[in-house]
Amino acid sequence: MNPLEKLAEQMKSDWDRRVGHDYRFWMGEGHLDDTQMWRTGAEDFLAIADEVTGGTNSVALEIGCGVGRMMKAAAERFGRVIGIDVSRLAIDKARELIGPTAKLDLVVGSGVDLAPVESHSLDFVWSYGALACMPVPVIANYLVEIKRVLKPSGIARIQVYLGHEMLVHEHDTLHLRSFSPENFSHAASLAGFECSVWCERELGSDESVSLGLKNCVVQLVPSRSSSASSGAIAHALLPHGESRAAHEVNPVALEAWMALNYAEALADSGEALKAKQAVEYVVANCQTATIDTQDILSRVLTKATRALSDQVGAIPLASQSHERVYDENLVVLKERFPKVYAQVVAASEPHVDHSSVRETKDGPVLFVGSTCLDHAEKPQAAGDAWARRSLHEERMKDAQEVVVVGFGAGYHLQSVTEQCEKPVACCEPDVTVLQKALRLRDIRPILSKLAHLVVGEELFSWELPHGSELLVRPQSAILSPEYVERAKSFFYSKRGCSELRPRIAVLGPLHGGTLPTATYTYQALQRMGHRVRGIDVSGFNDGFMLLDKFVKNEARQGVMRGQYVDLVSQVLVETLSEKPVDILICMAQAPISAQALTELRNKGVITVLWFVEDYLRFTYWREMAKYYDFVFTIQKGDCIEKMKAAGAGEVHYLPTACDPFFHAPLDLSPEEKEKWGAPFSFVGAGYHNRVQAFASLANYPFKIWGSEWPSTKPFDRLVQDESRRVKPEEYIKIFNATDINLNLHSSSERDGVDPSGDFVNPRTFELAACGAFQLCDDRKLLPELFEVGEEIITFSSLEDMREKMEHYLAHPDERKAVSERARARVIRDHSYGRRMEQMLSMIYATKYETLRQRESGSPWSDMIRRAEGEPELQERCKRAMMRGDEPGLDGLIADIVTGKGKLTETEQKLLFMHHVKSQIVRMRSEESGLRK
Amino acid sequence: MKKRYPTKNRVLLVNITRLGDMLQATPTIAGIKAENPGCHIAVLVEKQFEEVCHVIPNIDEIIGIDLGFVVRNLAREKDGINDAYEYVSKMVQELREKNFDYCLNMSSSAYTALLLSLIGIKRNGGWTADDEGYRVIETDWARLFATSVFHQNRQYNSLNLVDVFRASADVDMHPRNLLINVVPEAKEYAQSLINEAGFTNDGPLIAVQAGASQGKRQWSPSRFVKMIKILTEQHNARVVLTGAAKERSIIDPIVEGCQSANVISVAGRTSVPQLAAMLSLSDVLVTGDTGPMHISVAVGTPVVSMFLASALGFETGPYSEGNIVLQPVIGCGPCNPNKPCSKPECHDMITPELVAHLAMARVQGEVREISSDLADPRGVIVYRSRFDSYGFCELVPINGKSNDPFMRYRAAYRKLWLDDIGGFEVEGPRGGTSLKVLGEELHGLPEVRQCAEQGQCLMDSLSLYVRDKATTALQFKKINEEISELDRHIEELGLSHGPLGALTRMFIFSKENLQGSDPLDLASQMKGIYQDLERRCRKFAEYYASV
Repeated sequence: MNPLEKLAEQMKSDWDRRVGHDYRFWMGEGHLDDTQMWRTGAEDFLAIADEVTGGTNSVALEIGCGVGRMMKAAAERFGRVIGIDVSRLAIDKARELIGPTAKLDLVVGSGVDLAPVESHSLDFVWSYGALACMPVPVIANYLVEIKRVLKPSGIARIQVYLGHEMLVHEHDTLHLRSFSPENFSHAASLAGFECSVWCERELGSDESVSLGLKNCVVQLVPSRSSSASSGAIAHALLPHGESRAAHEVNPVALEAWMALNYAEALADSGEALKAKQAVEYVVANCQTATIDTQDILSRVLTKATRALSDQVGAIPLASQSHERVYDENLVVLKERFPKVYAQVVAASEPHVDHSSVRETKDGPVLFVGSTCLDHAEKPQAAGDAWARRSLHEERMKDAQEVVVVGFGAGYHLQSVTEQCEKPVACCEPDVTVLQKALRLRDIRPILSKLAHLVVGEELFSWELPHGSELLVRPQSAILSPEYVERAKSFFYSKRGCSELRPRIAVLGPLHGGTLPTATYTYQALQRMGHRVRGIDVSGFNDGFMLLDKFVKNEARQGVMRGQYVDLVSQVLVETLSEKPVDILICMAQAPISAQALTELRNKGVITVLWFVEDYLRFTYWREMAKYYDFVFTIQKGDCIEKMKAAGAGEVHYLPTACDPFFHAPLDLSPEEKEKWGAPFSFVGAGYHNRVQAFASLANYPFKIWGSEWPSTKPFDRLVQDESRRVKPEEYIKIFNATDINLNLHSSSERDGVDPSGDFVNPRTFELAACGAFQLCDDRKLLPELFEVGEEIITFSSLEDMREKMEHYLAHPDERKAVSERARARVIRDHSYGRRMEQMLSMIYATKYETLRQRESGSPWSDMIRRAEGEPELQERCKRAMMRGDEPGLDGLIADIVTGKGKLTETEQKLLFMHHVKSQIVRMRSEESGLRK
Repeated sequence: MKKRYPTKNRVLLVNITRLGDMLQATPTIAGIKAENPGCHIAVLVEKQFEEVCHVIPNIDEIIGIDLGFVVRNLAREKDGINDAYEYVSKMVQELREKNFDYCLNMSSSAYTALLLSLIGIKRNGGWTADDEGYRVIETDWARLFATSVFHQNRQYNSLNLVDVFRASADVDMHPRNLLINVVPEAKEYAQSLINEAGFTNDGPLIAVQAGASQGKRQWSPSRFVKMIKILTEQHNARVVLTGAAKERSIIDPIVEGCQSANVISVAGRTSVPQLAAMLSLSDVLVTGDTGPMHISVAVGTPVVSMFLASALGFETGPYSEGNIVLQPVIGCGPCNPNKPCSKPECHDMITPELVAHLAMARVQGEVREISSDLADPRGVIVYRSRFDSYGFCELVPINGKSNDPFMRYRAAYRKLWLDDIGGFEVEGPRGGTSLKVLGEELHGLPEVRQCAEQGQCLMDSLSLYVRDKATTALQFKKINEEISELDRHIEELGLSHGPLGALTRMFIFSKENLQGSDPLDLASQMKGIYQDLERRCRKFAEYYASV
């Protein structure tokens, strides 16, 4: 199957599925009844076919006619109208809705061409709300086809989105594509058309407006030139191509989101059954959705189940309980899972019980609200089928244990334990569900077979079995959506941490205070055993600084800097092509362009920005956030919301930290103490608030270290070493040699202590790690990082600062006690190692599958699998993979050293292969090179 | 001749990649067979040469290995490495199961050495590798092989590599030519090509191999045209241009340039056996240093061969009596085989007229002398091949006295090696002059010899240290440093005094091949190596003085 045919298959299956669910929603502009659908269809047709003359002999064609929304109106103007659509279900529906008419031909097309239509046979071709959802190669092919089928005098009108280019996955059939007007026009001219914008239509969403999109109808008039290849046209449309990364922009997420919104609208309008169908559609088809749809889902479910519970005739559970069964089950539960037993017996009956029981021929089944936790009629057969299907999923192959989320009445668990040879565990979100199941039927055989059983919150402190794989019951996903989502995050972040070894690169800035942070981050990852590359571009800084020497105009300087960053970015793209990574962690101010980030994302690299700066002071994130899959910030609240609004994929709070291997207590010589020490010190740049605050400390034994301080009194005496920038290895000496380190967070606007200051600077953690005593200004986020008063002493005003300076100078024991507690705290909770664990868990929580696929798609994985019977070879493959070596022989022999002891047989064989390769390559090059 | 492993039972000969190499091994193969009647001889060759080996006499088993498979799979993504690895494992296992008791690997490549180390054959005549992956060359002759082909030393060697190879395998009883079977069907085919050619001349049939393995060894087509025109127009000759299909880009222009009914090309139309048959029907072959040259020698057809660019007649010249070798005299020749040449001036030193003359002269009979007017020995030395009294092939200049500055060194080395590692009784040196030679003519030699003596003293000290339990680590460290420094100095002397390169290189190879780990034994082996060096320095000076 060629790539175009694959896309056609994808479109066909996607649209058949959607039409099968609800044709009006997915194809009829979301109208709730057909009359409305026909009316808007006619309106849209009039707009798109404005000024196009028809006539009895004229023939028109609609590409992507769906269920024929515009066909009726078109039939009134043209002699004959052809509607073509990839979905057979849509065409069948259109035939059913419109009925037999001689004027209309409704055709199921391939989805990528107009093969059933003769060349040069049409007067008018149009497409509305269809082309924009198609993958770019398909659009390109249609442009070629339109040119083919149009008469030389014909015209085409196509509705497209023009403006900002959208990053859409190449197999996505739902997200809207949009193109730059220049690119679209170029592509149309390559296809053999003169292209112009006929009219603009209203946009559907505010988001489109904010992205600068225009909903346009473009007119294509055939020119004399013939069409270029569809490949060339596709390239012209979107030069960088569409995303290939599996989960970059997830169409399933959009589908889930749309369907759930629809379900909510239905539930609001009292259409509970239809709402339930929509939810079921999501559960059945959108399991891989990664966006946060849970909020909507829970709202819909509350509304829909409330409406439905009145309609379903359920039998109250109480009357069905069998105390004997319950007791017998409890005996086994107590024996097998005493912890769960304790939870069950401790759990009280809910105040409002929405549960009920219904009898089936297989036994009783459990309902919560209107949701049956088993199959409402054939629980055993349905359980069997679910188990069979689930256990055959690809990911189950290598699983060492299966963890099923959702107990229900246990029918499906019975099936899973019977069909699966691996250990089976179960996690039930709600203890009362398990309680009911224990009363409902004899589940002792299931309890006996389960390897683990955990309930509720216990899951999150559970030591997950190694190599376990998760199976979520759809019913549980409906009833406990938030829990299931947390469980998945927990599960996949744990699995990711223990199983994944993605290749990570840490990109630092050209210069500045974040430079050491990049090093600490890289070193932490390295110590954790990750395959990590530190990309130090600080060597480019000299060139960057030189720009201002040559170019004096500020605007031009800006342009030059941009171009310089583009150059550095290109170097980055090249180096990452030579030695690819899976995750790129960019520190704030890392010199990387939007284009480079897009290119890397297209290659499947997960882009991460650790924005360790004040988002209010450094605002370049506004343009750049959208190129990152993850943005980690040192601030919360508005910062996170704004980053999200700027288009960042996921945004999480992740404060800075210390590197205990570097920031540590030092044994200083008396000379060093003399040079670097003082009763009071401050290290940092001379920001406005610090200048203002520290001027009042002129009479204190106080040393200031750092740049950008005034040279006027009293700073001429306070500031050390001519106000030069202090290196990290120097400031840890200052921290260590000083009795009281002042830590006043910077502010360019406020005087003294910034009352709205939130983030905590790296110095706070670094001072603590050095075992140094600090007085720190109040920060909103400090209390969740340190026990204020115990582990850190803060001041709220300059007066407070001076009082505490005097107090603690007089009480060295208190200082010592606080410093020791602070050091213990940061080593435990605030090291860069800890931060990297947190960062990676958050990445794994949603990108586990993507990363796993990349890892298992790596040639190393194939090699490791194949080398099963050759332990040493396998071990070498693993080692090379862990080192981040490129897959191949060079990686396998990289650490073989001759002359350092006996070579193993495997080593000799690998070296043999290596020498064979070089010899043959050399001979070939001799033969070709020296013949010349 | 001194022999290391006189008896051989199951022999593996590793000769993986080139047809010429295979043919050059034929005297050795025949010799092993003759000296060890009933022994089993297997050859390990690249799969594509398997076919060719069928025409080599005395081979009992041909083992083809598919190195291309290994390389292709290594280039393939995913689990190509596993396929290559499995193939190698299987190959090693199969070779082990064949229980060879002797192996002769004359390929200096690292991969054949590693392969042999993997197979684990105990007795070796050539290259192998030790447990730690280091190159091991057990025999002096094989070390001499490696020494002689070391680029700096090439000019000083006059022993044909066929003989060095043979001597590495302890072979005395050898044919004085290469061997190949000419099969009747091939001969019929070759004859039919000649019959169908439509020659109008009826003079000698002269084969011309115009193609060469490297561009810089390729005499230009226009020179070939001129040479062939002389043969066909002045000597009534018939000319057959031989070659492979890929050489037609060179051969076709020659045919077109000649515009003669008496010139045909069979390039691409003959298999190796058919080419052998065609050469057997020819009266002489005009060629460069090529595979067909060796085939011609093997079928008994004399050759007139041009050794251009990196080719050196002494090394790989035609191995039978009565062939003509043309070696240009030029400062840059023989050049490094691995470097291209954009201006091969050595080609100008051989004229078409000279080659045509030599070809016709050789057709008519043995050529033992030619006038220096025809070939000025300052530009090209014309040699005739023959065998010396020890059965080693040699080249004798026949166009008068040349000023070849290397001749005397070559002669001295030839005697040295035949005496010292061959155990032959070589015509004795004239005593008395050696000291003078040592000091004045062979610069650096006294110093090398002195180093060799010093080395022996150091080894005596080392042995004492080893025996003395009170020796401190510092003392060991110091003496080790002295030894390293001394060896480095010896190596540097060889590099700075070209004529001594072979002596010091042999020393280096010997040192690399120390075996075992017992310090006393190692010190004793090492002392022997310094003694070898000292003795060889002395003999070299004596032989140099005697020639």
